[in-house]
Amino acid sequence: MSLEQDLKRALRRESPPEGFAARVLQRIERENTRQRPKRWWRAVAASLTLTAVLGAWGAKTVHERREGERARDQVLLALKIAGEKVRYAQQEVRTIGSND
Amino acid sequence: MRKSILALFLLSALAIPAWAQSIKLDFPGLADRADEIVDVTLDAQMIRLAAKFLDNDGDEREVREMLGGLSGIYVRSFSFSKEGEYDKGMVERVKSQLGPSWKPIVTVRSRTKENVNIMADVRGDKINGLVIISAEPREFTVVNIVGNIDIDRLSRLEGEFGIPKFTTRDGSHE
Repeated sequence: MSLEQDLKRALRRESPPEGFAARVLQRIERENTRQRPKRWWRAVAASLTLTAVLGAWGAKTVHERREGERARDQVLLALKIAGEKVRYAQQEVRTIGSND
Repeated sequence: MRKSILALFLLSALAIPAWAQSIKLDFPGLADRADEIVDVTLDAQMIRLAAKFLDNDGDEREVREMLGGLSGIYVRSFSFSKEGEYDKGMVERVKSQLGPSWKPIVTVRSRTKENVNIMADVRGDKINGLVIISAEPREFTVVNIVGNIDIDRLSRLEGEFGIPKFTTRDGSHE
């Protein structure tokens, strides 16, 4: 009998104390605000890393392009000078040949 | 041990021809007296880089094909405001660096105009290097091209690729 009463007492429906729901909601809100800065900093760090990587890659590409275009101009200039000298010599040889 | 010595000897033998095609283009003090200087130094790596930036059609394609066989391009050109600013013996000093495989292809001698010496490193029926020495009263130019070069193709390149043509001695453009 005593056990039955104990169980009834233990399992009886009880209303939560006043303000319980509000406190639960407040706690959830606190947890959320505590986690938000972490996510924000992660996003910032990822963006900065991505920007740095893309920036370095872009700078390298620009540098390589400049070097390549400079080399290309130098090649064209060198071959133009060489071509001019060879053509001059060929013309002189032809002139001498036609005078003979 | 014997194999190592033999390998070293073969490597040295292979390295000598490549080295022998390039010459020392150092002319101390000449740059100070010159009004204009053209200094081009392109090793194999720079030539490969330059080839990537050439168009794949027309004249630039021809240059790109020509560059495939080259491992060095060196130009030193000095222009002076008056005559007698450089020692004429420099021509011989450049020529003296060339080994026995170098043969003169064309030599143009003039008292008033341009003296041109074109020499090639000929091995079999292939040209493995070219040296052009041009001595004018107010200009001294040396070009050294290392590698397999087609001279006829080279002579056709003048005045192309958007580079202005050289001014001739009477001041007009060709």
